Parts: sequence; structure tokens; C-alpha cells
Amino acid sequence: MADQNKTGTDAKFYNEILSPSELFAARSRSHKIPVRGQKDFFPDDSDEQRQRLEQSLTEHWSLISEERVEKLGNLVKATWVPSEKVVELQSPAGKFWQTMGFSAGGKQFLFPEEALYLMECGNVQVFYQELPLSIQDGYEKFLSSSTVRLQEYQVFGHLKRLGYVVLRFDPSSETSSYAKQLNLPQSHDRSGKQLKRKRSASPTTPSSHTEAQEESTADRMEEDTCSRESQEDKKYPESHRAISPKTSSTQTATASPEDGGGGTTWWMEDVVGERSDQQPASAASRWDFSSIFFPDLGASRELLSSCLASPHPSLLPGALAVGVCDVDPWRSRINLRDVKMSLKEQMREEEKRKRRSDINKNREVRNCRNWAEYRELMERREERRSKGRPAHLWDGEVTPLHDPRQPIPTGELLDKISVIKSTNLLEGASRLQASDEWRISFNVYQPDTVADFKKSNQGKPYARMCVCSFDGPVPDLRAIKQLAFRSGDVPVVFAVVDYGDISFYTFKDFQLPTDVFL
Amino acid sequence: MEQDRPPPQVVGVTLCDSAPLLWRVQDLKEVRARGLVGGLVGSLPRTPRQNGRLGRPLLLLPEEERLLTELHAKANANQGAGGVQLRLQVQQHQEEQKRSFEEQKIIALQDRKSALLRAMTSSHTDSAASDESLRGRLEALDRSFTFPRSALAVQLSTSRAGLHHCSEDRAFLRAQQPITVQDDPRAAARYQVFGDLRGRGFYLTSAGKFGGDFLVYPGDPLRFHAHFIAVVLSLDLSLSPLDVLAVARLGSNVKKTVLLCSPGRGGGVLYTSLQWSGMV
Repeated sequence: MADQNKTGTDAKFYNEILSPSELFAARSRSHKIPVRGQKDFFPDDSDEQRQRLEQSLTEHWSLISEERVEKLGNLVKATWVPSEKVVELQSPAGKFWQTMGFSAGGKQFLFPEEALYLMECGNVQVFYQELPLSIQDGYEKFLSSSTVRLQEYQVFGHLKRLGYVVLRFDPSSETSSYAKQLNLPQSHDRSGKQLKRKRSASPTTPSSHTEAQEESTADRMEEDTCSRESQEDKKYPESHRAISPKTSSTQTATASPEDGGGGTTWWMEDVVGERSDQQPASAASRWDFSSIFFPDLGASRELLSSCLASPHPSLLPGALAVGVCDVDPWRSRINLRDVKMSLKEQMREEEKRKRRSDINKNREVRNCRNWAEYRELMERREERRSKGRPAHLWDGEVTPLHDPRQPIPTGELLDKISVIKSTNLLEGASRLQASDEWRISFNVYQPDTVADFKKSNQGKPYARMCVCSFDGPVPDLRAIKQLAFRSGDVPVVFAVVDYGDISFYTFKDFQLPTDVFL
Repeated sequence: MEQDRPPPQVVGVTLCDSAPLLWRVQDLKEVRARGLVGGLVGSLPRTPRQNGRLGRPLLLLPEEERLLTELHAKANANQGAGGVQLRLQVQQHQEEQKRSFEEQKIIALQDRKSALLRAMTSSHTDSAASDESLRGRLEALDRSFTFPRSALAVQLSTSRAGLHHCSEDRAFLRAQQPITVQDDPRAAARYQVFGDLRGRGFYLTSAGKFGGDFLVYPGDPLRFHAHFIAVVLSLDLSLSPLDVLAVARLGSNVKKTVLLCSPGRGGGVLYTSLQWSGMV
């Protein structure tokens, strides 16, 4: 019908539907983009200029009005599930599955932004109520504050078109820097949640679901950290904290009887088979280091069998399961020769031992008959040491920052006398209350050409995106600190959307260099 | 000048996440004819995986949207298809796809035949024997030709209005009265400057990346470079010289003149520009 009524006046609104012959002709369509010519400086009302403008506009409109035409065989069919705000694939996924989508309950899903991008690329045709959705339908149905906002999608599309792998940022899946240092396995199952993009069989609205969860985790973390003063404790994951000595002291009542005596051999040196009857001790137990033996693979060559039994479960954090370790290959890698010292080395060792003499060996100290004499001696020594130090400077409560008789390198000295220390972005960031105003939207990974990306093992992102606009405020230090803390050692990039344009900015920690001249 | 003539066509604007978007080529052309540029934000169908040239939809600036509204030339077109006709529409869609398949099959066969014909006639120009073999081949083609369903070319429509099964009538294209008049003074000032510059025949786009409010083009941005960066400032705002120097320096670095635009009370706009004067 569309091809016939082209001539009619009513056709105006419907001429964006292609006729079968037009669809067929679209197969041999060019994929080149016409080059734009040099622009003019000022309109001079000349015919040439008018002609050039006419030509540019014609080219522009032909490019803009072009419709997407794909062979049915090249299209992946999918349906929109509004209740879950996801798109479910109905036919096998294409190459895009390497970097997009997730499986749940034996089905394959795309997030709305992924589906929309693939619709725009002509890879996926999404149906709703058995009717194909137009790109416009996609924009209007898929983009909202509960999924991905239009501005976020603009950034998503911009980066995808550049070839980046872009995934939703999920704060709960980010491991703390402490856990990273320890190379702990990620304990996702703790919250009943699988890997980042996997979902349970009955997926709820992705965004609201994760947001609520993230909120609660954040809150919990905040509460926990507030109650603890020491810096290190803050970084402990919960599973680890449970067996820390602090908490355990209050829980000794529940400790299993076997470690009541305090003489448990933590590292089981017995053979493998006996491991099974060791009942897993409860998380609360005393850390008696005199009873925790680490295997000395070098010394106990004869004693140890070739297999090392797994450590006591209560020594291990959370969900970590450690099997039996075959130590032979390791042993072959250690230098098992006895240490043979030369005469010179032996003398040096002897010298060292002498210097480390304890205070009681000192003759002057031995001559002291009581505490008073000892104190006197100490005072005399102190006096000797402080000779040349003006008393009015050093005897008061406030003393100089540095004793000039103590030689230290210039760099250290400069550092010592700098009263206002420079700070960095992450300082105090963990104590900040989380706010909703600023959030990270996406993890960005480099294009396939630069790095191999695997959905199952995503690795460290190249950057994290925070989407904002020129209408909003500039992020303050508090926001920047917060985002940097959330992001860990991955840079946070601000994608500023200005209608059609997107600019990217980063705030970087900067240490002023200290020049030391010698 | 364009504004003087009666609006020949009302523009259908849809809201996506509260942003005004234009979808139909007709509407895009109409808006451009009024000297409004907007910004394209979608992937270009021809080569989707690049950012150099983008395609529909067109995102309007708030000032552009308001101008259209005040000209009674904008209509919201967010209504979807009614649920009652859904079954009918599905049926219609399937029928049309079937018909399209049949037609494309015929076209594909014709296409193959004419290709064969071209190949044959270019190699053998005479002799009745070749005529005979040609006929035989054509018949063989007729018999063996298959057009699998996967080869069917389908359209992934850009705009919904173009979808025949969403039988949207044009009732929604009636112009609406201006709905909300922004009372934000900053937005009001921006709009006054926008309207004044547009009235003088300039084309405007957003100038966020240049640290200003609008980029001002002497003609269609397709053919001309921007001459000015318009910065909207209220008249009674006291300005630090450092700020003025900063924008002026930025403008000169990108070879544009910075226009400080202050809306006056009578509806006019006061323009001030800065120029470095080298005293030797």
C-alpha cells in the first residue's frame, strides 16, 4: 500500500515505510558516508553558496531519512518483557553475545540499553505483543529513570560505537582493595547473588533491585566501619572479620571444644584421609599462634609426605575451599642446600649478635645497684646527648620539628618540616556518607582489538563512567572522593552530556613534585 | 523571515525520559526550515558504528522546544496504539509481511534472470543455438529458484508514525497551547537571547564544549562555521574581570568572538563583545 500512495497527500506520514521493491533494492545500498566539503565563512547571498547549501542539505536529508533494512536471516529475534525491564532473545545470539547480555534460567537476556543499541545497529529485532518495535518505540519504552536514562544511553551508545565494552556498574560486585590485595575469591554467594550479570530464575526489575541491595550493603558497611577505629579493620570483608580475634573474644563460649585446650595442630600434618572426620570448627576460635604451625617444606623433608593436607577450615576466610596440596613440585623449586657460611660471614654474624647485646650486659648498667642509680645513669646519658641543644627550645612542651644534629636526607627533612601535609583523593573517603546525587553508571573495558574481554572473567575495567550534564553542578570534592572510593584503583571519568555533544573529563590526584638540590 | 509565514505543518515532538525528540524526517525538515538545528543523537542506519555522523532522533534544545510551542507548532505525540485493535494489527502485520515476501520473491527471480540475460548476451551476440541455451537456462532457473525466508529484507522502522500497524491518525498533530512557561530566571534569559538571535537570522546550537550558552552561526551549520560564542548574563550581575578574561581568552583560542548577552527589560538584548587590542 505504501508504494502506491506515495503520490497522494496522505502519504506524507507513511512514506517512511518502504515498499517490497525498495526493501529489495536496499541490499545494494552504499555504506559510505559522503564527505563534507569545506565550510564557507560568511553567507554572501551568491548562487554558488545557495547551490552548495542545497546540495549539502539534500545529502544530509538522504542520509537522515535512510531506513534500516536487514535480511530476516541476519536478525536476532527478541521480545520486550516490560515487567522485568529486559529483552529476551528468541533466536540464537550473534557475535554481540561475547560482550553483552546475560543468561538466567536457561534463557538469554539483554538489558534495554544493549537491546536498543543492537536495534540501532540492525542486529536485533525486538517484538512486543507480537509486533516489531520501531527505534522510537525502543527509546520510549526502554529508557527511563528505572533502567537507563536517555543521557546515560547517549554515553553508552557513544562508547559502544567507538568499540568499547560497556557494562552496567554494580557496586555490590566490586571487591575491596583489601580483598584484592589478598587475592581473595569473590564471595558473591554471600548475598545470594551470583556473578555480576547472572540473575536468579525470577529476575526482578534489574535497576531497582540492585539499587536497593547496593543501598543496604552500603549502609551496613557504613555502620560497621563507624564502630571500628582502626584503619585496617575497615577493609576487612565480613567473612574475614568474623574470625578476627576481637570478635572472637566475646564468642569463646560458643567455641568448639577441640580448641578449648589451645593445643590444636592447625595445620594438619597427618595424612589426607583423616581430614574428613575433622568437624569444621565454628568461625569463632582463638588465634593461638604458638599452636598454628606453618609447614616448613625445606626442613621437614623426611617428615612430610608428598601431600600437604588442607589447613584447618576455621583458618580460612568465608567460602574458600582448599584442597590437598601436592608439595613435590614446590619442593623442587626451593633451594634445599644447607647454608654454608664463609669465615668472614661467620664473623660478621658474630659481630651482629654482639651488637644486639641486651641492656643487662652493659657494664655501667651492671654497676647500678638500685633503680635510683639506674635512673641517674639514664639522666646522665640523656644530658650528654642533649648537649648543644638550647634548653629553652627543647625543654618546653613545643619543640622544634627537627634536631639539626641528626643527619637525615634533604627529602626526608623537607617532608618532616612540612606542617600541612598534602592529602590525596582517597583520604577519608571511606568515612563519607554515600549520597544519591552522584553515581557511577558504567564500567568501560577497552575494545576487543586492545584487550581480550571475557564476560565470565571481566577483569579490571579501563574506566568507570559517571554521567552528568552541563545543567547540573560540578562535582564537589566530596562527590569526587566518594566516587573515587567506590571505583577503587580504576579512574572515574565524567561524561558530560550537552544535548548532542558528549565531553569526557577526569579529575586526577596530583602530587606536587619536591625538588631536592644537592 | 521564516516565522512570518503561517506554519505549514505542525511538528510532532515525543518525550523520551522528559527530553523532546523528533523522529519523522518530515518533522526534522520542518524544524530545520524554521532555522532550528537541534542535535542528532541516534546511530546512523547506513554505518551505525561511528560517531562522526549521527542519525535520528533529533534532540531539541529547551529553547527550541519552547519556540516551537509558542509558535503553536508543536504537538506531543506520545500516544501509543490502542489495545483493542492489537489483534487486528498483528494480523495485518503478518499479512503484509507475507505479501512482501511474495513480491520480493518475484523481484529476486527477475533480478537473477536479468543478470543471466546480461551475462549471456554479452558473451554470445549471435547464433540461434545460444538463444536456445538461454531459454533452457531461464526455464531451469524458473524451476530451481528458491527464495528462503531468511533472505526476506525487512525494515527496522525508525519512527513509530511510520509503522502502518500503529494506525495513528493525525489527530494528535493538532497544535497545543503552550503548556508550561518556565519561571526559572536563567531559562527565561536564555530563551530571550535565543529568540533574539534566531530572529536576526542566526542559527544556534548548544555551546557546552566551548564554555558558553550558544554557538552562533551566520547560516546553516552544514555550510558555515560558528562566529560567536554567546554567554547569557543578566544585566545586573557583577562580573569578575578574571571571568571575563577567561571566556574571552577561550573564544580567541577557538577563533570565535565571545558575545556577552544580557536580556533587557523591553524584550531586547544587549550584546557586548571583547577584543584583545594589541598596543605596541
